[in-house]
Amino acid sequence: MQARTADIGNRMIICKNICKDYVHGGGRKRVLSNVNLVVERGERVALLGRNGAGKSTLIKMIGGVEMPTSGKITRDMSTSWPLGFAGGFQGSLTGYDNARFISRIYNRDYKELRAFVEDFTELGKQLKNPVKTYSSGMRARLAFALSLAIEFDCYLIDEIILVGDQNFNRKCHHELLEKRHDRSMIIASHSTDLVRQICNRAVLIHDGQAVCYDDVNLAVEEYSKL
Amino acid sequence: MSLTGLRKLREGWAIQWRVLHALMVRELNTRFGRENIGFLWIMVEPLLFAGLVAVVWRFIMGPEKHGMSIIAFVVTGYIPITLFRHSISRCITVFTVNGSLLYHRQVKILDFILVRFLIEMLGGMMAYAFIATVLMWWNEFPVPADIGLFIAGWSLYALFTLSLCLVIAPLSEMSEVLEKFVPITTYLMIPISGLFTMAAWIDASLRDYFLWSPFVNGMEMMRKGIWGDQIVVYYNIWNPIGCSLVLGVIGLALCRRVRRTLAIE
Repeated sequence: MQARTADIGNRMIICKNICKDYVHGGGRKRVLSNVNLVVERGERVALLGRNGAGKSTLIKMIGGVEMPTSGKITRDMSTSWPLGFAGGFQGSLTGYDNARFISRIYNRDYKELRAFVEDFTELGKQLKNPVKTYSSGMRARLAFALSLAIEFDCYLIDEIILVGDQNFNRKCHHELLEKRHDRSMIIASHSTDLVRQICNRAVLIHDGQAVCYDDVNLAVEEYSKL
Repeated sequence: MSLTGLRKLREGWAIQWRVLHALMVRELNTRFGRENIGFLWIMVEPLLFAGLVAVVWRFIMGPEKHGMSIIAFVVTGYIPITLFRHSISRCITVFTVNGSLLYHRQVKILDFILVRFLIEMLGGMMAYAFIATVLMWWNEFPVPADIGLFIAGWSLYALFTLSLCLVIAPLSEMSEVLEKFVPITTYLMIPISGLFTMAAWIDASLRDYFLWSPFVNGMEMMRKGIWGDQIVVYYNIWNPIGCSLVLGVIGLALCRRVRRTLAIE
């Protein structure tokens, strides 16, 4: 395990000239072209864009789930897996089994992790049921709890799973934005209020191009015009 | 510099080991569950296959063939072929099926192939040891004459199977046609798998072609290890080693290529 308290040098994530194509039955579609993005430690970057613009694709590539067609991504921070409604879990296994699997591959103590997950998710006996029986909100809780228990330098948040019920929302806010205010976050979201509230930078993705804004309000305005 | 290199290597091994362990447990849980005999199911399938076919053959063909117990002959043939057929069929579209695990960066696509193959191999070995012990009890199976040669033969057979998996798995992601053809192909390969025949039984002019098959070489070694001086075998260890190396390199290159374009939900 690495030391997480001290900032060693300038830790960052660098995306350089990222292009991503998807091939569908002979046709080739360019989803992202020449995307450049630098995320430094402690920054909270919003990814804005319409449905299908490539927000999730970019997050998946930053998380190493998919590979760019060309270009290079350098990570000096530990990044979470993309936290969203899908992915990261084995549906036929129970919540506990998934927690155990994750504790194994990330080398964390299972008992501690389980205690945290039970406390944070408040799913109770549901944790003994297969994950495929969970609602998307429940999955989000589990994904969040596990990633918080493991501790990452940068959290990749896909879709607006931060908007759960009141109680969960408050918990997330406390754990993620208050206790871990020094971490980086990359958040793909349609909720302009949420973005205004928590992000300090924004990237607007449209027609495969990504434009970075230091002023979140300006980015949200541009986004609203699309 | 070299010290940090060494440390990184050790860290890498530690992660690799953790991932394989976690994936193995997960795979056994999803496939067999925790009910009744649990993970022991991995040996039941090869056991049933080899055992039942052996019994059928025993009734059709009589107790012996070329001085070998027919039951032992069928068992020594069927357990390796089960390893081969199951490993191949389980590695088809294995990347897509396990896609959601790629959300965790320390999990690599090669781990999927390796884990499924190891499970089949462990199951095959457990089934082999079990059925051989039981049959030896009944005097239907010879006490292995050269267990080292047997293990070497099994290892080469398994190595070649793994190298085939490394090629089939990425190809099955690239083409659906291939996926459809695999079951029939593995079936058609049975005659050149050494399952029904020993090289010594066939005509000398055909024998050389027969021995081109890496499976036959492995199988002959295994049977020599079991029957020893009672039988005549022909093999060349460099055939399976060479074929595995070539296929392995091609397979690794294909896996790398497929990983770049793999789309994950």
